[in-house]
Amino acid sequence: MSKKIFSFAFFAICILLSTSAVGAESGKTLVENSANFDGKTVVLRGEVIGVMERGDFAWVNVLDGEVAIGVWVRNEDARKISFVGDYRHVGDLVEVVGTFHMACPEHGGDLDIHADKFTVLTVGRGLDRPLNMPLALLSVALAAGAITLALYLRHVRREREKMVPVPSY
Amino acid sequence: MLFLIPPLEKEDLKIIGHSLSNICYLSGALLLLPIIVAVVYEEFDVIPSFLIGSAASIFFGSLLSFFLYTKREMEVKHAVVMAAVAWLVAPFFASVSFWLANALSSYLDALFESVSGFTGTGLTVAVNIDHLPRSVNFLRHFLQFVGDGIGIIVISLSILGKTEISSVLAFKGEAKDTGIRPSIVRTSRIIVGIGLTFLIIGTFLFTIAGLKEGLDFGTAFFEGLNLSMTGYATGGFTPHSQNLLYYHSFWFEVVAIILMVVGALNFNLHYAVLGGKRREILKNMEVKILLLWLLVVGSLVSANLLFVGLYPSPEALFRKGVFQAISAQTTTGFQTVYPYHLMFMWPVLSVLLLVAAMVSGGCANSTSGGIKMLRVGMLLKSLVREIRQALMPKSAVVTGSFHHVEDTPLTDKMVRGAATIALSYLILFSIGTLITVGHGYGLEDSMFETASALGNVGLSSGITSPLMPATLKAVYIFLMWAGRLEIMAIFVLAGFIILGLRKGIKE
Repeated sequence: MSKKIFSFAFFAICILLSTSAVGAESGKTLVENSANFDGKTVVLRGEVIGVMERGDFAWVNVLDGEVAIGVWVRNEDARKISFVGDYRHVGDLVEVVGTFHMACPEHGGDLDIHADKFTVLTVGRGLDRPLNMPLALLSVALAAGAITLALYLRHVRREREKMVPVPSY
Repeated sequence: MLFLIPPLEKEDLKIIGHSLSNICYLSGALLLLPIIVAVVYEEFDVIPSFLIGSAASIFFGSLLSFFLYTKREMEVKHAVVMAAVAWLVAPFFASVSFWLANALSSYLDALFESVSGFTGTGLTVAVNIDHLPRSVNFLRHFLQFVGDGIGIIVISLSILGKTEISSVLAFKGEAKDTGIRPSIVRTSRIIVGIGLTFLIIGTFLFTIAGLKEGLDFGTAFFEGLNLSMTGYATGGFTPHSQNLLYYHSFWFEVVAIILMVVGALNFNLHYAVLGGKRREILKNMEVKILLLWLLVVGSLVSANLLFVGLYPSPEALFRKGVFQAISAQTTTGFQTVYPYHLMFMWPVLSVLLLVAAMVSGGCANSTSGGIKMLRVGMLLKSLVREIRQALMPKSAVVTGSFHHVEDTPLTDKMVRGAATIALSYLILFSIGTLITVGHGYGLEDSMFETASALGNVGLSSGITSPLMPATLKAVYIFLMWAGRLEIMAIFVLAGFIILGLRKGIKE
């Protein structure tokens, strides 16, 4: 349960950070008002959840807690990223200032942001995911119990079959 | 009419229960596989959740096997009821693992995700897919591969090798009655073999695409494996919240299209082509209709998007318009457009065309859902036959036939069967849409999401989310289940329950 509370708290903080930032738009606002923002300079803050280098540039997927958007950044900027968010890591919190495209002509119609300025605000970190020992012991006991029961009942059924002939239908 | 049907016997329940025990054992074994992924990625904290789900499944299976043991063979009613119940029981145990792993915000969400996985739907209520444990994400994709890509009953037949009669009937119950002979057990192994072959090919292609597009080998392979499982299964789950848009890659989309189309083709066709009958691809009525309908929907959607000027280039029209059309028609649910854009920026005509594609679906006996192209073809042929009959003299008898692996005469019984399924499907679609509208959503969104749930598609208008009403989650769970079983099995199960309640159960 503590993991769940932690996750909710983390994402609530992310959303608050991104929406309360001066001038920063939330990913949801950008997606839902993309026609208004098309071709304009926007600011997006969020957690890095993916980096893919493509030649001199890279795609950095940024999640603001609710919606993730692809950001096209220069390689030297992408290399500033230390942590990519996943189950075992909190990704770097970054701020992107760039041109928003509702349907980018350069990238097959994707909704994206071409970054002019890319800043790492907070370096991410590794997450400790401790084993819940009582649950682990319970799971081993249940697994052992289930297998033992299955084998025992199979044995009993076979013994019964030997004793009582099964009528044929 | 109920008085004509003989009452249920205790033996009926035993036959169903005993068959179900095999599904429980298999489900228990399958739930152990994500543990390997958890060990590789050092996610030791989620291993207990898989162990408990597996133990519960084996425990339940052994009780069924012991207390409901029987040697009697199945009849059609047992097979159909067993399949209907199996598709509830197997997701239940997987949902226990999802829930204990804290992957979803409530037990209902865990069950929704599990049913969506097993039925190959792909609608998701996961709160934060990008931060899920890799082992849990693997389980989501794996469920689609075993549930819809191959079929859990098919797997149980190929491994356990049940008797011929039971096997044939179980096949019918799971809506995978391919008719491939000589042996059903051998057939089930062929289906598993075909699935594994495309899984290997797909994983290889996605891994190459991933390496080319800037992923490291481990990520490219793992995500490629997951995407292959759901691509071939026409399932639609992806490891990221942005769906396929995460990769920003033309090549990922091309590989996905290959797998989606392959998955939507009939197993008979795969078998015929593997057996050297390559011309079958060009002659098969169902394939011709599928490709023609894909061409029509893809072209119209692209033309419509071009007309409104939403996308700036032919490449964009292909990657957005054609891709979404293929995803809808094959009932996969891979998405390269944000749901909000699909519903609020795409023109209504394009959205309705996608709804029509989702409702009609892919080929029968494939991994796809919907009414299925074989039935659509039969109904169209029957329509042509009726028109010709009306134009001919009264004494003339007009016959019809179609080519589906072999030349087959179109009988009234076939047309009646196809019409019954299509009608049941459309009735459920209408009811689902009305219920969704009743929850306060717009008609267009409601039609889209209902078609997606019932057709086991997974494209979303944005209605499906952790925040959607619990009653609607329950309704969609039912629709996904009914759609996977092609509806009739649900009616037989309902009849079985009513019969038991009205007439009791005889010793």
